[in-house]
Amino acid sequence: MKKEVRIGFDVGGTFTDGVIVKGKDILSKTKTLTTEDVTSGIINALDDLLTASKVDPLEVGMVSFGTTHTTNAIIERKNLNKVGIFRIGAPATTAIPPLTGWPNDLKEAIGGNENVFIINGGSEYDGRDIVPLDTEAVQNACKELEGKVDSVAITGVFSPMIPDHENRVAEIVKEVLGDDIHITLSQNISTISLLERENSTILNASVISVMQRSINALKDATKKRGIEASLYVVQNDGSVMSSDYAVDYPIFTVASGPAASVRGAVYLSGITDGVVVDVGGTSTDVGYIVDGFPRESAITVTIGGVKTNIRCPDLLSIALGGGTIIKNSGDKVVGIGPESTGYNLVHLGKSFGGPILTVHDVAVARGGLNKNLDIFTNNFVTHPEKIKELSNDLVMNATKNITEMLEVTIDQMKTTPEDIPALIVGGGATTMPKENVSGTTEVINPDHFEVCGAIGATIAEIGAQAEAVADLEVEDREQAINEVIEMAKNNLEIAGGVKDTAEVIDIEEIPFAYMPGKRQKIRVRVKGKVFN
Amino acid sequence: MSVYEVLEKWGIKNYRIIDEQAIEEITLGASILATGGGGDPEIGLLWTLGTIEKGKDIVLINPEDVPDDVMGASVGCLGAPIVLTEKPPSHNVLEKAFKELSRYLGENLEVVIPFECGGVNSTVAYAIAGELGIPVIDVDGMNRAFPELHQTSWVANGSHASPAVSVDDRGNMTIIDTKEDNLRAENIARNAAMAYGGISWKASYPLTGREVKEKSILYSQSIAWEIGKAVSEARQNHRNPIDEIIKKLKETRGVESFKVFNGKIVDINRDFGGEATKGFSSGKIQMEGMGEYKNQIAEIDFQNEWLRLKIDGETLSLPPDLITILDNETGEPIRTDIMKYGYRGSILLIPAQERMRTEKGLEIFGPSYFGYEESYEPVEDIVAKKGR
Repeated sequence: MKKEVRIGFDVGGTFTDGVIVKGKDILSKTKTLTTEDVTSGIINALDDLLTASKVDPLEVGMVSFGTTHTTNAIIERKNLNKVGIFRIGAPATTAIPPLTGWPNDLKEAIGGNENVFIINGGSEYDGRDIVPLDTEAVQNACKELEGKVDSVAITGVFSPMIPDHENRVAEIVKEVLGDDIHITLSQNISTISLLERENSTILNASVISVMQRSINALKDATKKRGIEASLYVVQNDGSVMSSDYAVDYPIFTVASGPAASVRGAVYLSGITDGVVVDVGGTSTDVGYIVDGFPRESAITVTIGGVKTNIRCPDLLSIALGGGTIIKNSGDKVVGIGPESTGYNLVHLGKSFGGPILTVHDVAVARGGLNKNLDIFTNNFVTHPEKIKELSNDLVMNATKNITEMLEVTIDQMKTTPEDIPALIVGGGATTMPKENVSGTTEVINPDHFEVCGAIGATIAEIGAQAEAVADLEVEDREQAINEVIEMAKNNLEIAGGVKDTAEVIDIEEIPFAYMPGKRQKIRVRVKGKVFN
Repeated sequence: MSVYEVLEKWGIKNYRIIDEQAIEEITLGASILATGGGGDPEIGLLWTLGTIEKGKDIVLINPEDVPDDVMGASVGCLGAPIVLTEKPPSHNVLEKAFKELSRYLGENLEVVIPFECGGVNSTVAYAIAGELGIPVIDVDGMNRAFPELHQTSWVANGSHASPAVSVDDRGNMTIIDTKEDNLRAENIARNAAMAYGGISWKASYPLTGREVKEKSILYSQSIAWEIGKAVSEARQNHRNPIDEIIKKLKETRGVESFKVFNGKIVDINRDFGGEATKGFSSGKIQMEGMGEYKNQIAEIDFQNEWLRLKIDGETLSLPPDLITILDNETGEPIRTDIMKYGYRGSILLIPAQERMRTEKGLEIFGPSYFGYEESYEPVEDIVAKKGR
């Protein structure tokens, strides 16, 4: 049997969206309430899809999901692993020990300061040792950690460029604590900037079991329903990774939701460069598409109160959604948001006979919401007479303000002044004005925009990357780049992709300012297919 | 010895304790005064917060209370910012630099003199003072940021950067004693940093209490603190942070500052290659006016810090006067190392302190030092003349 059917899920704060697709056709879609454990919500959505589409489970070739499991565990400090923490960098770095600036409850939840060891070692930027690695200290530390931790996080100074000390420490940890201990190496997590990389590495090590359990539960659930397909998880660049790989790198899923939306919007519209405006009930996330992938953020990302440098989509969030409250004085608009009716839009909004004027009501008055979406149980308007009472001037003024908010946000995401297309998606997409939005070439609501993230999850593409430092005074530039491309392709294979299908997305060369010589960082991103 | 014994010895009853909130406000204010430069202050801030958490008291004293014959020195780092973010310092580098300088001089160093406003250097003075149990004086050497070791009000008024001690995390040490050749001291310090692996930690500018009083920028820490407080209060009360800064500077310091532009960055032109940049981050940005400044164009040159502002082709500010670009809502300064197209903000000009405007001062950080042919004119005079 040909396994052409793919199933994708996107877990949001309120709804878990699901779609089942065959080739380019969308067979069925669903929105179910997100559950506290997340997993059962996904299983509910899966059952909806299988029932509605009547697909033979054996036709399913791929099941993938974007999820909030790891983010929730970190934010709620629940079910986290106890982590043994090694930093290789003394006598440097000791002014700011690991876990500095962490919220106390999170620190305690992962085992606290007693499992922290700063070891003599690490590298200088030019490859010399800061001091030789103190292997004996690593062995002694491991003996202290025995029976106290579930996983180990290892971070060495300059390891993204010179990984040797980290790798050696990992070997020793395995020798003493056994092969079953889970090890996260910072070189595989993120780039230069020790404290943020260390934080990211420790957080990754703390959610290994959370990811392991959720993947096991979903594997079970699909198997019980007769599905024999590989399981994939959406990662922060919107592509997928194999579920086995995801268990090692759960932290790569923290921004899977918004990333999958961007990928879904690209897929649905065919547009590969522009902005994606993902509209919810209380807020809107604006992301930027470059070559079909979300642009990465250059600034630190805070997760659960901890600063990290994990690669995440560059997003700008504004307090503007379908339920956002409009304050007016006569025909004049005094303010828009940040307050929102949220869930209560269907009781409090004018369209539903309530007392409060919202962005949704203005869209209804504009005539922007004339067709209902079968996926929502509510109508868009139950009290049209309340909308007719709104003056034209007020509707126009509010529309103008909302348009301006969109324009400013879109403009802030740009890197050059040229007009670009804007793709409006998400549950609140239809409430946004689409005419006369300056800075855009066109404003598009692609079909199926309300389950955009779930559709993004069904795209069978894997992204991977690699980076290294080259000294162009002694190395040939082209050869150095080719080596990094090869590394990235290998990483693609490890993440579950077919190596032969790898395509280079981009090559970045970043010279080291303030340094003598011709040293530069080379970073390569590739994408490839899940199936041949 | 505890810091309180030092205070008692000098008969100081009037001092301020720097707690978490204080250091966060000082750091924010200092990053605004850094005029786009100074880099990320995070590492210095974390270090100082760690010192406070350990229960060490950090005490800020007024310059007039420091006895004339007491000696102090400034501390900081010098080198490549990228190395600093990957390789934070050993907890004892500054203590070692400070003590070794003291030993070389054969003098007791009893007080820490902050070096500049902005980045790591504005906060590490507090961390080391807490560790050593000695006070910090409410002054610095510029009340802004500059990239080079000799660009201070101390040199501008006849003092010298050396003797200085530069150390690394392993305990390697370089003693720099170039007598009156301050530029050579900067040179040696930079080369030592490279030999160490990209970054060095230094104690420099050994000054007497009397020199501190005569040649520093007085109350620069209070100015940073007041600005930081004004901005964080403006955030809480949803007031315009730029207006609050202008009001505060006028009220507490009698300083007139000028909001001259509001707009967004529409073009960034960075210089590339070691030849052009000499290791600095340099280039030019263009901003397009908004609101009452619509149809006006601002152009700002930068070399780590903002240097020269032109609006519609006319020069409005030259170094060492301060150019700051601040986010209209948060008051967060826009830094030259992380700015992007589309950033929106207001330009606020603050006059440099008179001690920065000496003949020697203009020689080491005036327009001609940065290659401009225009001669220096104080920002308040230019603004008055142009009627802005």
